[in-house]
Amino acid sequence: MRADIVVIGGGPAGLASAVSAYKEGIKDVLIIERDMELGGILPQCIHDGFGNFIFGEMLTGPEYAQRYINELKKTEIKIKLNTMVLEIDSNKRIIAVNSKDGLLEIEAKAIILAMGCRERTRAQILIPGERPSGIYTAGTAQRYINIEGMMPGKKIVILGSGDVGLIMARRFTLEGAEVEGVYEIMPNPGGLTRNVVQCLEDYDIPLYLSHTITNIEGRRRVEGVTVAKVDSKMKPIKETERFIPCDTVILSVGLIPENELSKKAEVKMDPRTGGPIVDERMETSIPGIFACGNVVHVHDLVDDVSEAAEVSGKGAAEYIAGKLKERKIPINVKNGRNVRYIVPQIIRAEKFDKDIKFYLRVKEIEKNTRIVVSSNEKEIFEKKERIVRPPEMIKLNLSPEILNKITGNELTIEVKK
Amino acid sequence: MKDNDQKIAEKLKKKKFSKIKTSVKNGIVYLDGEVNSWDEVIELGHAAGEMKEVKGVINNIIVKDVKEKKREKNLPKDTYNPHLPERADVVIIGGGVIGCFIARELSRYNLEIVLLEKESDVACGATKANSGQIHTGVGEESGTLKKKLCAEAWPMYDKITEELDVPFKRNGLLVVITKDTLPKIPSFIGNFISKYIIPYIVMRKGKDVGDKPRIIKRDELLRMEPNITDRALVAVFMPGYGIICPYKLTIALAENAIQNGTKVLLETEVRDILVEDKKVRGVMTNRGTIETQFVINAAGIFADEIAEMAGAKEFTIHPRKGSILLFDKEEEGYVNHQVSELRFPQDPYTKGGGVLMTVDGNINWGPTAIEVPDKEDKSVTHEEIEGIFEKYGFIFPNFPKNSVITYFAGLRAATYKEDFFIKASKNIRGFVNVAGIQSPGLTAAPAIAEMVLKILKDAGLKMEEKENFNPVRKASPVFDKLSVEEKKKLIEKNPLYGNVICRCEHVTEGEIIDAIHSPLPALTIDAIKRRTRAGMGRCQGGFCGPRVAAILARELGIPLEKITKDRNSNMFVGRTKSLLMEEDKCGQT
Amino acid sequence: MKRIHNFTCIVCPLSCQIELIEERNKILEVKGNRCKQGEKYAIDEFKNPVRILITTVYIEDGILPMLPVRSEKPIPKSFMKKCVKELSKIKAKAPVRCGDVIYENILDTGINVIASRDLIRRK
Repeated sequence: MRADIVVIGGGPAGLASAVSAYKEGIKDVLIIERDMELGGILPQCIHDGFGNFIFGEMLTGPEYAQRYINELKKTEIKIKLNTMVLEIDSNKRIIAVNSKDGLLEIEAKAIILAMGCRERTRAQILIPGERPSGIYTAGTAQRYINIEGMMPGKKIVILGSGDVGLIMARRFTLEGAEVEGVYEIMPNPGGLTRNVVQCLEDYDIPLYLSHTITNIEGRRRVEGVTVAKVDSKMKPIKETERFIPCDTVILSVGLIPENELSKKAEVKMDPRTGGPIVDERMETSIPGIFACGNVVHVHDLVDDVSEAAEVSGKGAAEYIAGKLKERKIPINVKNGRNVRYIVPQIIRAEKFDKDIKFYLRVKEIEKNTRIVVSSNEKEIFEKKERIVRPPEMIKLNLSPEILNKITGNELTIEVKK
Repeated sequence: MKDNDQKIAEKLKKKKFSKIKTSVKNGIVYLDGEVNSWDEVIELGHAAGEMKEVKGVINNIIVKDVKEKKREKNLPKDTYNPHLPERADVVIIGGGVIGCFIARELSRYNLEIVLLEKESDVACGATKANSGQIHTGVGEESGTLKKKLCAEAWPMYDKITEELDVPFKRNGLLVVITKDTLPKIPSFIGNFISKYIIPYIVMRKGKDVGDKPRIIKRDELLRMEPNITDRALVAVFMPGYGIICPYKLTIALAENAIQNGTKVLLETEVRDILVEDKKVRGVMTNRGTIETQFVINAAGIFADEIAEMAGAKEFTIHPRKGSILLFDKEEEGYVNHQVSELRFPQDPYTKGGGVLMTVDGNINWGPTAIEVPDKEDKSVTHEEIEGIFEKYGFIFPNFPKNSVITYFAGLRAATYKEDFFIKASKNIRGFVNVAGIQSPGLTAAPAIAEMVLKILKDAGLKMEEKENFNPVRKASPVFDKLSVEEKKKLIEKNPLYGNVICRCEHVTEGEIIDAIHSPLPALTIDAIKRRTRAGMGRCQGGFCGPRVAAILARELGIPLEKITKDRNSNMFVGRTKSLLMEEDKCGQT
Repeated sequence: MKRIHNFTCIVCPLSCQIELIEERNKILEVKGNRCKQGEKYAIDEFKNPVRILITTVYIEDGILPMLPVRSEKPIPKSFMKKCVKELSKIKAKAPVRCGDVIYENILDTGINVIASRDLIRRK
C-alpha cells in the first residue's frame, strides 16, 4: 500500500498536521490511529481551557477535538482507526496492523510522527513499598472515570501538582471521592495557577509543597501511603514522615514523549526534550520524516500543539513537492543560561521568508528577566518576561527581519536579568 | 534417635540459647520464648539448624511487643466456581512451580490428582518473583539436597522446555573475579590469588556439578561483555546456566497436567487436614472436603502451617525476602550473559545474585536477601533499592540506571536448616512435606518431582502408567515473536490477532482471549499479564490496563467493576457516579 | 466587622496574592494586585464567583458509556456540587451532537447543560 503522507497518531497534533498538509495540496493523506476514535487524549480531557488562542473560546477537550474532526470530515483524508503501527524504518516504510485489514505494509513519501506521550510510572520514580491495586497514573484514572465509566477509588492521595494531577483532584471530588491532598516534591506548584485555584482552593483540597510519597502500603489494594517533607536536595526528611490511610494513589509525575517508533527509524533524539531533533519545519534528522505535538516535547496548551503541527503539515507538503532545500550548514540553536530546552533545535531554511516560532522552557523560576536571542555574540532579539517558570512554556516569534540578522552557524537563546 | 537427641540437648545448653526455652524430640528442636528483635529469632533458629544432628527446627520464638498483622481470610468469588471433586488419589497443596511439576509428573499415571491453589492463579508465591535462573548447583553447599537435586535437574531443561513449549535460553553465567573480589587482602596478594587461584577453585566446583566451565581471560571477557568494568581481572564461564520464565513454565506445567486429567482448583484454600489413626483421610477447603489418602504439602511459605494442620510439623519457615530491579527492554544487548561478581566473604545464605536477564530480554539486578517476620511482606524498601544499585552498579558502571521499569519482591520459604525438606511424615501416613524450597528450587523442580514420586511409591501409592499420557503442550501464539508472513496468516485465521491491545509489548486481543479461555483460565489482570506480557512493558499497563479490563469483563461475563488485579485486589470501587449515589442514600450532600 | 478575603489571581502568571477587605458586603479596599485586571478579578470572585460546570452523564446506546457535558455559561460556584449530583441521576440517549441540550435550566440557574461532543449510536 502507498500513501503520500502517513500521519501516525490521530490526536490534536496528527489532526492539525494532516489538515494543514491537505490544504497545501497533498490529497493522499492517511492518519493511522490506534484508538477507536480520533482525538487522542482530548476526548478524556472533559474540562475547559482549550482553544483560547486558536479559536478565542474556552472549549473543553472533546469540543476542541470536534472542531478538527469536523474539518477533517470536509476533506478526503483517509483514516484507519483501531490500527497500531508496529514498525517504521528510515526508508519511510510502515508496518501497521488491525483486525479488519490484517497486517499492512505501507510505503510513504513522508511521515509525520504525532504519537504524543505517555505518563511516568511509579517505578520510574522509585517509590518504595508494596504493589497493590489502586495505584494509577492520572491519565489512566481520567480515562477510567470519563470514558470507561469506572471510579478507581474513594479516598485519594495525589502525587504531583502538574495540570493533570490538579484536574484529577477536582474530577475525583466532583464524583464523590475524598481527595486527602496533593503532594508536590518541588517548592512550587507544577501546573497553571488557574488550576491550583479552581481545582484545589475551590474544593479546600490541601496542597503540600516540598513533599513526596516515601512508601505505599497495601497487600491487595492500597491501604495507605507515607508522605514526608523533602529537603533542598529533594531527599525525604525521615522525621517528617506521616502515614495517610487511603485506597488510591494517583501519580501525576511527568509525561514522556512516546518515541519508540522514532528510535526504530533511527531518528536523532534530543535528550533534553525526550523527542526528536527537529528543524523549523519540524523535519527530523531523516529527510521526509516530520514530527509534531507532544512526541517532540511536552506542551502545556493544545493550541501550541495545533500551531506547531500546522507547520509540520506544511513542511511535509513542501518536502513532497521537492521544495525543501538544505542550507549547506544548518544553524544550531544553542541553549544558553537557564534554558532547559528549545525547539526547534536547528534551522535549515536557506532563506528566511516566514516567521519562525521557538518554544522553550527554563530550568528555574526567575523574575524580571529578558529572553535574549544572540548570533555571534550580538543580541538580535529580546522578550521581556516578568516571571519565567519551568511549567510555563515560552514562545518566541522571530520575524524574517530578525532572522536575517543571523550570522554564522549558531544561535544562542538565553535568559538574562 | 535417643542418642542423637542427647547430643543435641547437650549443644542446646550453650550460652546463646540461655535466654529462650529449648527442647528436642526425634531430632527436631523446639524453640520458644521472647527476644527483642527478629534478627535474634533468625540467629537462634540458624544456630539450632546448623547442628548436623538436627533434622528440623520449629522456631516459635516471638519478638517482644510486636503485634502480628492479621491475615485476611480469602472467600471464594462468585465468578469462578469450580467443582470440588469428592475424592482424589493425591491432593497437592500449592500451585507453585513445585506443586505444578509434581502434578504434571503424577499425571503420567492412572490417578485422580487434584491441585489446590489459594490465589487466583498458579505461580503467585515465590515462583513468580525470582530471576528465572537455571542454576547448575555450583554455588550450593556440598552435602545439601539443594546441590544434589539442582545438579540432577539442570540438564533436563532442554527437553522439558521443548515439550512444554516455553522459552528457555542457555546463555551461561560468567563468574567474574575483580579487583574487589578479595577486599580484605592487600591488592598485590589479592590480585594474584584472584587471577591464578580462585578461577581454578571455581572451575572445580563447576565440574563437580557436571558443567563444562572455562576460564575466560580479560581479553576474551571484554569481547563477551564489552561494557564490563575495568576492574574485572578474569572470569569463569559456566555454560550450563540458563534463563527461563518461571511463571510461564508453571502455567505450562499446570496446563499439561490438566491436559492429562489433573484438576487444578484456583481460589481454593486449605483449612484443615483430616487425619484418623495417624493416617491422612482428607483435606478440608473453603469449598468443601476432598477425601484422600495422600497429601503433598508444596505450600511454600505456608508449608509449616499446612504441616501443622496434619500434625506433621517438623520445621518452621522463616521468609527471606528477595527484591529485584527490572530494566527497560531497550537495554537488551548491553549484557549478553548472566554475570555475577565473586566477592569474599560470601553471605552464608544467599548466592549473591547478579546482573541477569529475563528470557524476554529485560536486564534485571538482584535479588536482595532480607529476613522478614511477616509472611506477606512483599514490599520493596528504599534501602533495598539503594542497596541493589550499589551492589550491582560496580560490574557495569555505565549502565543506564534510570531505565528501571519495575521492581518486585518474593519471599523465599526457608527452613532453619536452609535446605529442602522433602520427606514423607513418619507420624502421619500419607502426608508428604515438600517444603523449604528456596533457590535453587526452580531449577531443582524436575528432580524434586521425581523424588516425590519415589516417596509416594514407597509409601504405597499404586502408580500405573497411563498409555495415553501426552508430555507435549503447545503454547498459544505470541504475535510479537512471529515473522511478517506468520503474522498475516494468524490474523487471517482470527482477526482478533490484528487488534493490538498492549502497545509496549505488542500483545493482541487474540492472545488475551486465548489466556482467558485456556485450560487453566486467566481470571485477573495479572494472570493475563503473566501469560501474555500485557502490562509488562515500560508503561506498566497505563495504556492497556483499561482495555485488558474491558476484555476480561466481557469474556468472563462479569461487570467491569468486579475485575481485580490479583486475588481480592479490586481495580474499582464502582461505576462513575456510584459514590454520588451512595452519598444520597446516606443523606449527605 | 471588617473581613479579609484572600484570592490568588489567575489573570496572568504573576499570580498575585490579593486581599479584599469588606464590611457588611461593602468593599473597602483591594490590595496586593499589580494591575487593574487583578482588582476586577478579586471583586468578581467576591461578589459572584462563577465556574463552568464540567462533568459526564451516563448515555444509553452510545459507542461509549459516558457523555462529557458542560454548562453553556458559568454557573454560581456554590451550585457546582448540587448540579453535579443532579446530573448523576439522568441518562442521555445516543445519538447526540456536540452542543445538544442535555439538561435544560439546571437548578433554576437559567443555564443549560450541553453535550461536549458528538456521540454516535452503538451498532
